Amino acid sequence: MILIKCPYCGERDQSEFSNGGEAHVIRPKNPESLSDKDWGEYVFYRNNPKGIFYERWVHSHGCKKWFNAVRNTSTDQILRVYKVNEKRPDLSDFKNTLKSPSGEPLVGSGNFAVKK
Amino acid sequence: MTNILSIPGVKVSQKDYHQIIVRGNGLEKFNNTIEEKTSIKPPSKNLEVKYDLNYIFAKNSFDQWSLILTEKKDHNQILNLVSSINTNDNILASDYSYGQVYFEIEGENKDSFLNQLTHFDLREEKFPKSTMAQTVIARIECSIYNLGNKYIITCNKSFEDYFQQRLKDTANLN
Amino acid sequence: MSAINNNCEYISKRLIKITFDGKTYEAYEGDTIASALLRNNIRLVGRSFKYHRPRGIYTCGIEEPNALVQIISEHNEPNTRATIKRVYDGMEITSQNRWPSLRYDFGAINNILSPIFSAGFYYKTFMGPKGFWKNLYEPLIRRSAGLGKPPKNFRSKSTHQYHNTDVVIIGAGLSGLAAAKKFINTKYKVLFIEQDSYLGGVLKNSNKVKTINGLTPQEWISETEELILNSKNITILKNTLVTTYNFTNHLIALEDKFAGKKIDLNKSELTLHKIRTSNTIIANGHIERFISFRNNDLPGVMLASSFEKYIHRYGVVPEKEPVIFTNNSSSLSLLKKLISLGCKPKAYVDSRKKDNIETEIKKILKDKEIPFFSDAEIEGCDGNKKVETITIRQGKSFNKLKSSMLCVSGGYNPDIHLFTQSKGLVKWDKNILSFKPDTPFQKTITLGSTSGNYNFKKLCDEINEKLSIFKTKKVSLDINLNVPNKFSIKELWETKKKNNSNWSKSFIDLHNDVTTKDLKQAITEGFDRIEHLKRYTTNSMGTDQGKISSINSLAIVSKMLKKEISEVGTTTYRPPYAPLSFAAIAGRSTYEFYDPERKTSIHSWHLKNNAVFEDVGQWKRPWYFKASENETMHQAVQRESKMLRENAGILDGSTLGKIEIKGRDALEFMNLMYTNAFSKMKPMTSRYAMMLGEDGMIKDDGIICKISDQHFIATTTSSGAPKVLADMEEYLQTEWPHLQVYLNSITEQFSTFNISGPKTREIMMKVFPDIDFSNDAFPFMTFKNFDYKETKIRIMRASFTGELGYEIYIPPKFGLELWEEIFSCGKEFNLIPYGTETMHLLRAEKGYIVIGQETDGTVTPIDLNYNWMIGKNKKDFIGKRSLSRPDTSREDRKQLVGLSPINKKDIIEEGQHIVELNELPKKISNPIKYLGHVSSGYHSPNLNHSIGLAMIRGGKNLLGQKFFVTATGKTKNIPVEIVNPVFIDPENKRLTS
Repeated sequence: MILIKCPYCGERDQSEFSNGGEAHVIRPKNPESLSDKDWGEYVFYRNNPKGIFYERWVHSHGCKKWFNAVRNTSTDQILRVYKVNEKRPDLSDFKNTLKSPSGEPLVGSGNFAVKK
Repeated sequence: MTNILSIPGVKVSQKDYHQIIVRGNGLEKFNNTIEEKTSIKPPSKNLEVKYDLNYIFAKNSFDQWSLILTEKKDHNQILNLVSSINTNDNILASDYSYGQVYFEIEGENKDSFLNQLTHFDLREEKFPKSTMAQTVIARIECSIYNLGNKYIITCNKSFEDYFQQRLKDTANLN
Repeated sequence: MSAINNNCEYISKRLIKITFDGKTYEAYEGDTIASALLRNNIRLVGRSFKYHRPRGIYTCGIEEPNALVQIISEHNEPNTRATIKRVYDGMEITSQNRWPSLRYDFGAINNILSPIFSAGFYYKTFMGPKGFWKNLYEPLIRRSAGLGKPPKNFRSKSTHQYHNTDVVIIGAGLSGLAAAKKFINTKYKVLFIEQDSYLGGVLKNSNKVKTINGLTPQEWISETEELILNSKNITILKNTLVTTYNFTNHLIALEDKFAGKKIDLNKSELTLHKIRTSNTIIANGHIERFISFRNNDLPGVMLASSFEKYIHRYGVVPEKEPVIFTNNSSSLSLLKKLISLGCKPKAYVDSRKKDNIETEIKKILKDKEIPFFSDAEIEGCDGNKKVETITIRQGKSFNKLKSSMLCVSGGYNPDIHLFTQSKGLVKWDKNILSFKPDTPFQKTITLGSTSGNYNFKKLCDEINEKLSIFKTKKVSLDINLNVPNKFSIKELWETKKKNNSNWSKSFIDLHNDVTTKDLKQAITEGFDRIEHLKRYTTNSMGTDQGKISSINSLAIVSKMLKKEISEVGTTTYRPPYAPLSFAAIAGRSTYEFYDPERKTSIHSWHLKNNAVFEDVGQWKRPWYFKASENETMHQAVQRESKMLRENAGILDGSTLGKIEIKGRDALEFMNLMYTNAFSKMKPMTSRYAMMLGEDGMIKDDGIICKISDQHFIATTTSSGAPKVLADMEEYLQTEWPHLQVYLNSITEQFSTFNISGPKTREIMMKVFPDIDFSNDAFPFMTFKNFDYKETKIRIMRASFTGELGYEIYIPPKFGLELWEEIFSCGKEFNLIPYGTETMHLLRAEKGYIVIGQETDGTVTPIDLNYNWMIGKNKKDFIGKRSLSRPDTSREDRKQLVGLSPINKKDIIEEGQHIVELNELPKKISNPIKYLGHVSSGYHSPNLNHSIGLAMIRGGKNLLGQKFFVTATGKTKNIPVEIVNPVFIDPENKRLTS
């Protein structure tokens, strides 16, 4: 259970939140003008990267407000939260986030736990 | 008022209050309408609670307020207030009087008692006096108002029996 | 062999009685099961997991791999660590994994067959034939391998306690106490957690420390504890074990509220502490490790520091004349203690060279004439169910000694379990030959031996330096020691065997019966990665998680692979640190609190009137009402359904979701959320509406009441209410923030009654004499508000049964009163209460669908023939575009039809398949063509035969055709005709009457 900072209520336990998948996927303005393929991409396809991910959260058992977060999916660290109407933070802001070339966290348990 | 339980350091009682949930944009026109109809200026800071003997008025989120009226009133009085606020098309007021139940928790051990039912951080620096929070207590959604020496907790009326039993159970197991 | 009692301040001298395998023994209050058994000279306490080898007590704490017992007097609790669990008067204990008895265990035949049970045995042997695993191998293995028996009639109560705090100190040993002392009377809120029932750790478990600041260890502990107790900001939790270290400094700890006491079933037995902290200080010390040698599992082999702990902590000397085997300097304190008690070890075996052994040790051994073997090791030990002889190798010579106990020390591992759970990095330290914490990932500080600091003199500086980030006072520790200040150790993991026999075993994992030979074999077979090797051999996968042995196995593996240990790495440390009871995890969410229950304001009336309840989400809804004691559900539902169509019935519909929608753009919003078009709808009318997902599939349905273009009330299904509100909020907040619309859930603000049947109008007129219920004044799908007593009610003309019907909305405070009023008025019209089952039957007769019954997330409105609900002229609504995707416009999609049995006596069952065959073959070799399934099946009392709703491929074009429906337990199928799904009143005459 991680702590998540709701931009409106402050830090709360993860159990109060629900994840809403990838952020910044905008619903097409004129769905009828889209080809089946493009519409299908919008409805069914989402990114699921290992590493830095822009995603949506909702404080579902609290104020019920949606917000966006930047999370490192390999360490589960939430690096930034921002409101829905705020600008998407630049990827370069998170350059120094712990990440090894293979995408594995530099710190972590198991075989990665031993400092070489 | 009904006494629910009383153990060393914790006293819980149930209250009969009225409540109105107000949604709107919080801008000047909104504030004026609310003040005109209720004679109370709505709190402007997120999670802020204004209260005195007759009311508890809180800003739950940037577009939601809860007004709890602690005095016993005729239901039509409340309904008339609700519909008079609703004359403004850009405000939604809903009567929550009898669909919610209200518990008052006081005593020096109230925090550790409640923390058997909720993860919520009740420490003064995280949950100061005159603020409110929406969170999960005993696995159900609740609002909790910090009035300094006591908390007011509200939840849906359908959970009334369950919530009472959980409170009593917690006291009994201690 | 005999144990002697020693004076000990942690054990009361009150004698109590316990039973072990049916025999009664005396123990002292404060004993653990293990110390009580040792006091009574019982060394054989269990049988091993795989080979059923006799096993004894190996340790004196949480790390115990062998001594697991079943507590009969506590709901038959299995796999309890005898070394932790405290006894109380009347405690009943049995040993585990043996039959018929502990001494004569039939399963021990596995030991004789052991050469075939090597690493990967199960994977290699039980390969086939098909079905043998499930029916033969698995039951067989489960019976012979394993631990205790599951508990019965488990009724204990456990609670959860949440904490939000600034600092958590784990472990109240010397470093933990010193750290806690620094926080006395500071602004920090501190939680100080100790696994034992006494503070002190190493100070009370061993002889290592002579004095602290001029006080005896016990005086210093008492003084410090007193200071801590008087400090308001520090809370001490005893008998509490931290098992889990999660992200964002979230810890889980288990407190045994009845340590050493008989459980009171009315009180909380276990408390699971869920702790969120800003900083964690880990000071839970170290764990001694063993050394592998031949028969290193025989009862009588024990870790040296555990032996010492039994003397200090429990006042029992398990054996007067043990042999001590060590590779390090720490055993001096045990030696000294034994001498001071007048005991004389049989021999002292040290693998270090004579020159490297501390002078003090050599002096004592010489003075007391104790046989001393330096640069030597234990080759193995032998005996029948216990240690009898011990073989010492010194150079090329072998010495055989008679002794019943062997104390082993292979060095100390810093207890890095929690640190690595927190995702901290560890590092190999050559001086202590173990992994120690290096870079923390969270705000974690390790102190004392946990951090790899085995030097007591440096402890004070370490604590002051590491805790300098806090605003605390300096602490000073002037420590006098009984042991050498500098820790010295020689690498030794496994001793050489004299002869290589298939039956001789030196264990690397005592719990799971893994031998060093298994490790070698696994590597030979190519499992050279430590994580693979662990799973293949099950090394360190027991309930003890290899606490005394996992580093040894890494070392042995690294030697075999000719790699550095740090290159081999560790396996992943996962929570929990030690097993915790499911009861503790569940907390109070069991039995009566399994799931929160929601009740309507009419609940008490339902109870009085013999309602049988159904769970709908968390709601308790009347399923049906029993008219008499013996009435079955079928009879009740048939009666209710018939009575309603003849007279009238009333349903408590308070659980239906209700959402109030208001704002400048409410109309536009509703047009986007629902398939229907609301623009031309007149105020104060209502409409059946449907909500889709963006994929075009039906999500929910309900009735929409339009008060004005700016104000709507939507009803939803009972269980779908929170989701619909959440979806609406989501679109408003994220996709259409420009729409000015506000939502409130008003589900709980109204009690809702659905009253329907041909006599409804008469009843309503009697209840509300001032209201005109005529068809002209109050047509179908309209609603009106009325004053009622000191409140207001809303009445809507709508129906889910197909009969004339009204829905009444009233604030819950006045609900029950009105409900009773309706009954007293309805009595002369034979008004009946009905439940959800009758509601489902009646709507099926009328061909109305139920979300989640006819639909399952793959059904579009077109599949249901509900094209009329789709606002085709609307530019957009959620899911519209998907309705013209190639897949959703397929002709052969499953579509809604009605089913009528050709033989009217046949019963159509819900969930059955629709096929073309009138009979199924006895043995199905080829797949049978599946056409669809029965989504609803009822016996209609009004038609007097079974009816069904079904989803069938291309169903729209199959009207009048004959198919077959499968039946439970039969090969003969039921012939049915595809019919219009509306069985009753297709012209809607009743509805609009």
